[in-house]
Amino acid sequence: MVNGILDIETASRLRRFYFRSQSRVRGRKAGIHKSLYKGISPDFLEYKEYNRGDELRQVDWRLYGRHDRLYVKKFEDEVNLAWCILVDSSASMGYGEGGSQKLRYAERLAATLAYLLLRQGDSVGAGSFSGKDLSLIPPRAGNSYITPLLNKLETLTPSGGTALAEPLLKALEVFKQDASFVIVSDLLTDESEIEKALQLLKAAKKEAVIFHVLHEDEIDFGFRGPLEFLDMESEEKVIVDTDAVRDGYRKRIREFTERLKLLCHEYESRYVLSPTSRPVEEPLIEIADK
Amino acid sequence: MNFSFLNPLFLIGIAAVALPVIAHLISRKSGVVKKFPAVRFLIASRGDASARSRLKDLLLLLLRALVIVLLVLVFAKPALFSFAPAGSGGPKALAIIVDNSFSMGYGDNLERAREKASELIETLPDGSFGIVAPLVAGEEGRLSPSSGEEALRDGLSGIKISSTFTDNEKRLEEAFSALEGVPGQTKKVVFITDLQKNGWQNEKADRDWLDIIDVSKEAAPANHAVTGIDASYGKDAVTLGLSVSNFSDKPEEQLLATMSAGGEELSAYLDIPPGGKVLNEFTIPGEYISGDKPFDKAQDRSSGDARDTFKVGSAGIPRDRLAVDDTRYIVISDRDDFNVLIVDGDPREDARLSETYYLARAAETISEITGAHITVKDNDSFLGEKLSGYDLVFLANVGDVTEGSAKELGEFAARGGTAVIFLGERVRASSYNALLKDLLPAELIAEEEREVKIVPLPQPIFPKEVGERLSQVGVRKHIKAVPYPGAEVLLGLEGGDPFMIKKSLGKGSVFLITSTADTSWNNFSITTVFLPVVKGFLDMPGSANEGRRNFIVGDTIAIDASAGADRVEVISPSGKRYVIDTGSALFEKAYEPGIYTVRESGKDFYKFSVNVDPRESNLEKSETAPEGPDAEITPGLVKVYRDIWRYFLWGAVMLFISEAAARAVFS
Repeated sequence: MVNGILDIETASRLRRFYFRSQSRVRGRKAGIHKSLYKGISPDFLEYKEYNRGDELRQVDWRLYGRHDRLYVKKFEDEVNLAWCILVDSSASMGYGEGGSQKLRYAERLAATLAYLLLRQGDSVGAGSFSGKDLSLIPPRAGNSYITPLLNKLETLTPSGGTALAEPLLKALEVFKQDASFVIVSDLLTDESEIEKALQLLKAAKKEAVIFHVLHEDEIDFGFRGPLEFLDMESEEKVIVDTDAVRDGYRKRIREFTERLKLLCHEYESRYVLSPTSRPVEEPLIEIADK
Repeated sequence: MNFSFLNPLFLIGIAAVALPVIAHLISRKSGVVKKFPAVRFLIASRGDASARSRLKDLLLLLLRALVIVLLVLVFAKPALFSFAPAGSGGPKALAIIVDNSFSMGYGDNLERAREKASELIETLPDGSFGIVAPLVAGEEGRLSPSSGEEALRDGLSGIKISSTFTDNEKRLEEAFSALEGVPGQTKKVVFITDLQKNGWQNEKADRDWLDIIDVSKEAAPANHAVTGIDASYGKDAVTLGLSVSNFSDKPEEQLLATMSAGGEELSAYLDIPPGGKVLNEFTIPGEYISGDKPFDKAQDRSSGDARDTFKVGSAGIPRDRLAVDDTRYIVISDRDDFNVLIVDGDPREDARLSETYYLARAAETISEITGAHITVKDNDSFLGEKLSGYDLVFLANVGDVTEGSAKELGEFAARGGTAVIFLGERVRASSYNALLKDLLPAELIAEEEREVKIVPLPQPIFPKEVGERLSQVGVRKHIKAVPYPGAEVLLGLEGGDPFMIKKSLGKGSVFLITSTADTSWNNFSITTVFLPVVKGFLDMPGSANEGRRNFIVGDTIAIDASAGADRVEVISPSGKRYVIDTGSALFEKAYEPGIYTVRESGKDFYKFSVNVDPRESNLEKSETAPEGPDAEITPGLVKVYRDIWRYFLWGAVMLFISEAAARAVFS
């Protein structure tokens, strides 16, 4: 099946990759994520001296033979996890033509990830944010849930500004249980706004992955000659000699991504730079268990 | 060196300089608007780059504009050129004569002439010989060829404005003659001048060896000058006549003229029409001029000592671009008159048909310079005339001569006067031979009617050029004359008859011309030699000059001295001192205008004035002047070009490379 924004071949190539939570979660259904509770999963966790109440079938009799004491085997409990995928649909995400448009790229990335997450048994909710608005469909599990997710993602149109914290707060209201957040955005907003969002996620004990989507032009600034630029969100105009400002611009955008990486690290989130020239599987592989 | 373009039309391409400027301005206001998400980073980066970018923009703009300018100049073929005489490129013999007559003092004419001469010196090939000399030689300026550039430049630096009027042709011919014997295939005389008409006797003459460079900027230079100052003496007062001329094509209104004499200063405002002359008279009481001694015009020059009566005066107008002729000097004395009597033996109602018409015109012309008074009388009036007040007497076709008039003429000549006798149909040879036997230099025989030319003879009293041109004179009729012993034939006719004979009589001289003063028997009076010959009579030393106190620059001046004095000292207006031996008593260094003082035994003896020749004040240009856009060059001169467009091309290439380098550095 190939939906407009989902390349099933790419998804197939990533089938053997899993996306696990870094921490233990309170999942209710069986899944691939380590549960906060120890259980009956085949994965051995530790030994523990027997106490009354422990199930006798969990006693390791071989160890009893060697040490003459009763030990009980403890096993990991693996559960599923809810994922919240938020795509930035601000006006700045409309930069680029065709498939290299940042929003299209973000949609493909989000759709592929959603598909893979549903396949590994997790529940996935997805939405978009623009300005302070959030449009979100709640998380559900099951492969069939991909269709509404795709429908949601492929109808996005770039508009408005980028305000990260407010929509995130709204999303956290929806995802009260353990959940991981995936934010796909160009992050072209105040760094204080970004830091505030990361603070919110950490305070809510939510893992987060930030896919920083940038167009090749925004990284390399390959323009020539003097040009008048119009900011896609603030509509501010500026005439620059692109040759003259290129070095300065590149330096500043590099410093910006470096600061974001440090910021994410500080708030225990994962930062993945995702230029639109990069195939979507590459940033996904970066966050997957190999 | 001058700068020029061989293809000047290409200079229109300079307008292409506007292209990079326009491109620069257009690019700064780019019409392309690009939507972009990360504008905030651009704004931050622009601040860093703007100063650098502005510098880069300006530098690149400058380099590109210069590249275009240089390329356009390359196509326009710039070249340095100078003027050089046409001819082979080998060694030359070149005489550069710089006009230093005082008209060249107009504006910066002399400086421009020096520059042109310097350019010519530069163009002389190695091994060339040259002369650089002033037109008016003065005390320096000998025509001696030399081969070194340094020597030529020394000659150039020594050229100063002279106050003397000169004959251009004579000097130029002397310069050409000086090149004879000098090695060099091409012999040329280059005359650098303001092309003033005066000074050319024969301006249309074809001279292959002469090239003329006109350095004057103006086609018709305007000048005002004090062209005459004289004194006439009344019983109790002296009247000073001041002539001011307007040598321009515009009227002069309310020109202030000032006369200073005897401690008095008088002024008047003069209105002078274009090309006109105004005479203004100032009357000064005699006591201002000579103390308590009234003037007496009839005072006998030979008696009495009135040397202490000499007073000086000057007249001036506001300074114009030619300042030297704005002031004129006079020494006022009771002995200053120079009187000429012309006796017309055949007067007519129509003056142009009179016997003395041309003679009187010539004398009047000269009197403008010398201040001489001309009196014309008929035969009858002459018979009763006392000649004691005259210096020079012309008799023209005078038929009636009495014993009394013959005696008067004899005494006149003995006193130092000059008598010039023209013959004609009214002259009866027998009567002349009888009554004027002691006076005439030759015995008159009879009329002869045949066309003959004057035979040029070495002329001690006339300039060389006058002698050479005497062959222009054609004589149809003359009276055959046989010179008396002691008389000197100055000019002869073809066939051997004399034309002009001189006899010294006492302190004076008598000249006999065996034909008429008008054109009935000859064309003498309408040839170019007539005026110089008449002036020669006026300039005869030892006769009319005695007692004169007012002279023209360049005159040879007879210095009066007391009996028994061996030498006198003449002090020029600038203070130069000249010792004159009373043996010759001739002063030949009157090169500067002003008042000269003659000192004897350490005391001021008398003063005399020297003024510039008023003919030089008329700056009207000669028709010799070439016409057209290259008016300052005669066809004999060629422009010698040195191509320099290659340097411009290299410059353009270097700038092009620099532009590329600048772009690389700034990118």
